[in-house]
Amino acid sequence: MIFKLEKLSHRYSDGTLALDEVSLNFTRGERIAFLGTNGSGKTTLLNHLNGILKPTSGSIYFEDKPLAYDAKSLLNLRKRVGFVFQDPNDQLFASSVKQDVAFGPLNLGYTLERVKQLVDDALTTVGMTEFADKPPHFLSGGQKKRVALAGVLAMQPEVIIMDEPTSSLDPIATSDILHLLLRINKENGVTLLLATHDVDMVPLFADKLYILNKGKIVSEGTPKTSFSNTELIREVNLRSPRIAHLFEVLKKENGLPIDNEFPLTISEARKEILRLLEVTKEQIKKS
Amino acid sequence: MSHSETYAEIDRSAYTNALAKCSPITKTFFALSALIICASVSTIIVPVVIFITCTILVLSLAKVKACLYFNLFVYPTYMLVLSCIFLALFFGSGTTIAEIQLPWFTWSIFKNGLSMSITTFLRVEGALSCLFFLVLTTSITDLCVLLRRVHVPQVMVEMSMMIYRYIFLFLEISEQMSLAQKLRLRRSGWLSSIRSLALLIGSLFIRTLDQGERTLVAMNARGYDGEIRILEDFVSPRKLVLLGIVLFDVLLIILLFLTLNIGVV
Repeated sequence: MIFKLEKLSHRYSDGTLALDEVSLNFTRGERIAFLGTNGSGKTTLLNHLNGILKPTSGSIYFEDKPLAYDAKSLLNLRKRVGFVFQDPNDQLFASSVKQDVAFGPLNLGYTLERVKQLVDDALTTVGMTEFADKPPHFLSGGQKKRVALAGVLAMQPEVIIMDEPTSSLDPIATSDILHLLLRINKENGVTLLLATHDVDMVPLFADKLYILNKGKIVSEGTPKTSFSNTELIREVNLRSPRIAHLFEVLKKENGLPIDNEFPLTISEARKEILRLLEVTKEQIKKS
Repeated sequence: MSHSETYAEIDRSAYTNALAKCSPITKTFFALSALIICASVSTIIVPVVIFITCTILVLSLAKVKACLYFNLFVYPTYMLVLSCIFLALFFGSGTTIAEIQLPWFTWSIFKNGLSMSITTFLRVEGALSCLFFLVLTTSITDLCVLLRRVHVPQVMVEMSMMIYRYIFLFLEISEQMSLAQKLRLRRSGWLSSIRSLALLIGSLFIRTLDQGERTLVAMNARGYDGEIRILEDFVSPRKLVLLGIVLFDVLLIILLFLTLNIGVV
């Protein structure tokens, strides 16, 4: 158990209750997605896990120890739990890519040699080595996002939190970032937590999905089980992935023999269509 | 070229010129030593030699576009020409070269006044060429790392780095805001254009506060403790090149003494 939240609530100073008694557990190495509309509390929840926000009530345990908010414990937490912000312009403040990526490791007090090595490794992982000496304003949105991720990777965290990793990116940049995240998870065993409202991206990425609505967790499970509850999905103003929606319509309007767990990705849909074709062939043979 | 385009061009040049990979120590050493020699003594030959050397270095070695380089001289030269005319007409004493009889007094133009005007012009242009060489070939990041190495106070280096980063961000934001105003049919009268400008400045100011807040949160998330540490990592200078620059400076000083007595007029 890497993170454990118990009845976590957060009320902003203007009175909005952004989180309402959220209780969760995460295991090491998981890929977890938080899905919800704007203002559902995703970002507020994630901001608690890296010590940016303090809970109004309830408690957070990191490796069974409650979070402490003194400078030393926070530095120790932030070394192990990295946070990639939604807008890379908030995060990239240094005058060159290399200086920005080096910021985190230098704060951890590593030697110059070690920092250089970590910066090189992080930039290689995200494929931005050739931009090391360029200033951030030379980069495109997707490139900035990758540099922001490198800045967190260079601190070698065990958990990476990303707020809307694919918002305002073009399709190629989106798929690049996703593949990069999956690779980091597989090769380095990094636990990934991400907040998104991109429903089509969730099944490609997550093995665990939480749906938030008005500061509460309303659904918890694999993407497959969560998206099969179509009434709930509509109730919280989300929608199913396009592919699942297609199969739902085929089942309801055309009466095709499809189970309630609709396929969510292209490969699952392909399997399901081939199965349906087999079924129809057999029916034709019988008649 | 508009102002913001010129800034962007200078910035681009600092990162992409052919001397970008050369050690910042070498480039700064060359520019500063030449600048000091150029500015310290009033002769005419040495500034001309320095101007020609810097121009050749910028155009053929660093391969910076000539129009960008010469464009930089335009505004300072306006100011300089005005000051030099002033110097020539109103300063000096001793031998006169021209006397104009006016009804109420005699206006004299002095030989050393004219000479001072010409040497000042050449010295300033020579010194500018040294500065532009540095500006066009060396990136701000390299300069900041260098400043840190020579123990310039931390807070000044941090501020310069961040100001540099955010100039470009806010330049972009202000251009977008200005465009948005234009697209919503901002009227072109003087009063209303002042009003639009006031709105733009106001919202830009709020943006900077907001951005500062968010950047601080993001920096804290990576373990910021009040001090920005800079990765002091750059190419060390080639000894041979440094020796070459020292030789060049020595030659300049010898030339300086040889030409000390050559008058201007």
